[in-house]
Amino acid sequence: MRNATFIKIAVPLVGLSAAVVALLVAWFFLSAWWSQPPAVLGFNEGPVQPIAFPHTVHVQQAGIDCQFCHRTVSTDEAASIPAVEQCLFCHDFGKIDGSLAPDPEVAQAEIAKLTDAFHGSLAGDPPAPIDWARVHRLPDHVQFVHEPHITAGLTCSTCHGDVASMEVVKQVRNLKMRDCVDCHRDLNAPTDCATCHY
Amino acid sequence: MALTRRQFLKWAGATGVGAVVFNGCTVPDQEVRVQSSLSMPEDLVTGRDNYYATTAQLSSGSEGLLVRVMEGRAKKVEGNPDFPLNTGKHGARAEGLLQALYHPDRLREPLAKVGKGGPFRRISWAQALARLQEIVGGVESGSMLIATPPIRGALAGVVTRFADATGSRTAGFDPLGQQPLYRAVSDLFNQQVLPEFDIGNSRYIVSFGADFLGTWLAPTHFMRGYDKFRNVNGYRGYLVQVDSRMSATTAVADEWVYVNPGTEGLLAMAMAHVIISERLDRNGSPDAYTGGGDASRIDDFRPGRVADAIGMPVARIERLARTFASSDYQPAMAMGGGSAGAHTNGTDNLRAILSLNYLVGSAGAPGGIILNPATRNRRIEAAPLRDWVSELEQMRSGETKVLLVRDANLLHHLPGELDAAGALSEVETIVSFSSFLDETTNAADLVLPCHTPLEEWGSDTPEPGPGYTTVGFQQPVVRRFRNTLAFGDILLQVGRELEHAEHLPWATMRDAVRAEASELHAAGKGSVSAPTFEEFWKASLERGGWWDQADVVSTRPRARSVARNVREPGFAGDTHSYPFHLIPFEPHGIGMNDAHLPWMQSVPDPLTTVAWQTWVEVNPQTAKHLNIAQQDVVLVEASNGRTIRAPVYINPSTPPNVVAVPFGQGHAQYTSVAAGRGANVFDILVPNEDADTGAFAWASTRVRLHKTNRRQKLASLEGIYPAEQLDDQPIILIHTPGKTSSNGHG
Repeated sequence: MRNATFIKIAVPLVGLSAAVVALLVAWFFLSAWWSQPPAVLGFNEGPVQPIAFPHTVHVQQAGIDCQFCHRTVSTDEAASIPAVEQCLFCHDFGKIDGSLAPDPEVAQAEIAKLTDAFHGSLAGDPPAPIDWARVHRLPDHVQFVHEPHITAGLTCSTCHGDVASMEVVKQVRNLKMRDCVDCHRDLNAPTDCATCHY
Repeated sequence: MALTRRQFLKWAGATGVGAVVFNGCTVPDQEVRVQSSLSMPEDLVTGRDNYYATTAQLSSGSEGLLVRVMEGRAKKVEGNPDFPLNTGKHGARAEGLLQALYHPDRLREPLAKVGKGGPFRRISWAQALARLQEIVGGVESGSMLIATPPIRGALAGVVTRFADATGSRTAGFDPLGQQPLYRAVSDLFNQQVLPEFDIGNSRYIVSFGADFLGTWLAPTHFMRGYDKFRNVNGYRGYLVQVDSRMSATTAVADEWVYVNPGTEGLLAMAMAHVIISERLDRNGSPDAYTGGGDASRIDDFRPGRVADAIGMPVARIERLARTFASSDYQPAMAMGGGSAGAHTNGTDNLRAILSLNYLVGSAGAPGGIILNPATRNRRIEAAPLRDWVSELEQMRSGETKVLLVRDANLLHHLPGELDAAGALSEVETIVSFSSFLDETTNAADLVLPCHTPLEEWGSDTPEPGPGYTTVGFQQPVVRRFRNTLAFGDILLQVGRELEHAEHLPWATMRDAVRAEASELHAAGKGSVSAPTFEEFWKASLERGGWWDQADVVSTRPRARSVARNVREPGFAGDTHSYPFHLIPFEPHGIGMNDAHLPWMQSVPDPLTTVAWQTWVEVNPQTAKHLNIAQQDVVLVEASNGRTIRAPVYINPSTPPNVVAVPFGQGHAQYTSVAAGRGANVFDILVPNEDADTGAFAWASTRVRLHKTNRRQKLASLEGIYPAEQLDDQPIILIHTPGKTSSNGHG
């Protein structure tokens, strides 16, 4: 009898919990699928980069314009990641070596990775390109060209958020089809399928 | 549990399908990585360019420049169209300023030697300036020497005032020195500055040894005039080049007159004799030659008497003189310099040559020699070799205890016989302000690397000027690229610390330049007029300078002290043992000081097309006689027993009794580009001096050649592509005086 009561209570409870968990998992996957992963368990954080590049220091403190590094944003499809040589404009010849950073040791170690990549390391590693982790990625069947968006007067932060205040860059808009189409409709931009799918 | 065959296949199939499915669902690696390449793509151009006007005192004359700057980096040098000297054009050495700026071997921080003769170690600027202050503060009056190239403008004001304040001497160092030219101009025209040679308005030019389209004084400026000279109202000016070696100017001249080295003045006197005796003169100045009598006063220079010494027929001397004075070819001008002034009778030669202008009325007249207004500013002039010999003596005797040296490479450019290295080793302390570790800097105890011209403030009164007062302003077009300071700023700072403020009224070089500009503004005339000084300053910098076309020398010089005599040239070495005249010459690209710049090294010699090395030009007959072939390495031995080695370039235009070798190479130090390349002619030149000025007679050494068993390939463009004779464009045009190129050949 006691056993039957326990089963009566326990089974629905376990079932309900399982259903809630299943719903949560489903919600997680669906929201990740339709939009972005929810900001739990670090899922919404930006990827770890091979060299810590704080945009806060470069944009807010040094006052560098986005386009100084992302040089082709107003002319090409991709905004482009700068060549290592360009980083060394300041970090090699200009002798900005991180010694003035709040935590100089960390900054100098990160900048050393950069100079090692360009010149080769003292340990004998040859010069090698840097593989940055991609933060923004659109599906293969979508063609996105930066140039018309910049020409139309949109700022970088329209899509990428306030990168200037991000220590680690992360994606802030979901950049799904609906997001694009909504914006195109609002700004009276073309919404033909072939605008992006060609 | 036994695993049946069927079960095994099921599991294996399921695992395979699972592996394919799950792998297919992951994002490919290249999609989640974005690679930044190492080097910038060359064709990526972003940002906006700015052009800044500035001026540079180059070894090839002063040039007004516009520098294209993008994102804080100087990218390209162009000529400033407004600047009176070069009017929009510029020479190769102006282009080379960029490479000096970005040179990988440029010194990055101050260096100090650990003990005398020890290795260099890096020190901070604070330590370096404290050390300099200690050195300058502790030296007795009169025992410090400041060696610089000849400098003008605001920097000259700072250096000379610093020298006054510290009781030190200044000495300008120019390896080739122009003292005979200055002396001749001073004697003949009573001027302390060089005149403008008005090539553009002339119709007939006889140039004695002056390679004015190549390397002499200010070739970019002269080329502007030459362009006009060949095209004035359809009239084509006629150029005669008198030279003992074929230079770039000789190559484009209508006539090349070979004379034996050192007899250029003799030819000029013989021409004067013909003009006076045949009464061809144009303004009555023969009296200055003859004292009112006839040509008998200068009868020693009758063509028949001197033709053999000069090495040309009497008839040709007479024809040259008659054409020069003919009314068909006026205004005509005689100009001289280069090797003509580099003999023991250099001043005599140039005085005789420039005197010819009085006979044809070209002294102080358009198309001739136009005097430049005197400058009020301080200058550091080049000291003649005689003074440098005495300076070396003072170093050896210990009288000179401190040597401050700025871009004067004494160890490379003084004749080897003088043993400058031995003298410098006796100096207690040597401080160098060079941007590069040249030989002299390497011998220094303290090295303070300085800005290149594109990074610093300055001003210049060009020499020779364009015939009216001209001041060029130099401004930094980029921020300093290395951890360097401006030479003037260092002197001002140290002077201030040593409490010499009464001598040095400015805090920085910029202040010194502004002070000069404020004087010009106060004068209220010239090319820039503005109500306030700040507006004047801004407009002058934007324009690259200030000039006043109304400020000219309006009085014509009077023929009082024309040449009446020319001494014979003296040579080191007898003609039997040392059969060849060594005529060294300044190469186009590297000149005397730019061997550290790859672009300048790559500039091929216009006649031989050789670059990047030293070569010996030898006549084909001489080569045959000595059994020497092209690219054989020869030992060139001077009468003092000193030798250099270099490969032979067999040159049909080299006279049989002459060998020609370019200056500029043979560095032991001075960056990885220059070191260990070619030979240094200064090593073997005998330190003969011009009798009047004590200037270095660098064309008065005789040599002999020894064949070695080595060969060295010449880096030359010649022969890579065959020259083709096109039917409608003949390669060789033969002109006669006064004919245009359209009807002149045949």
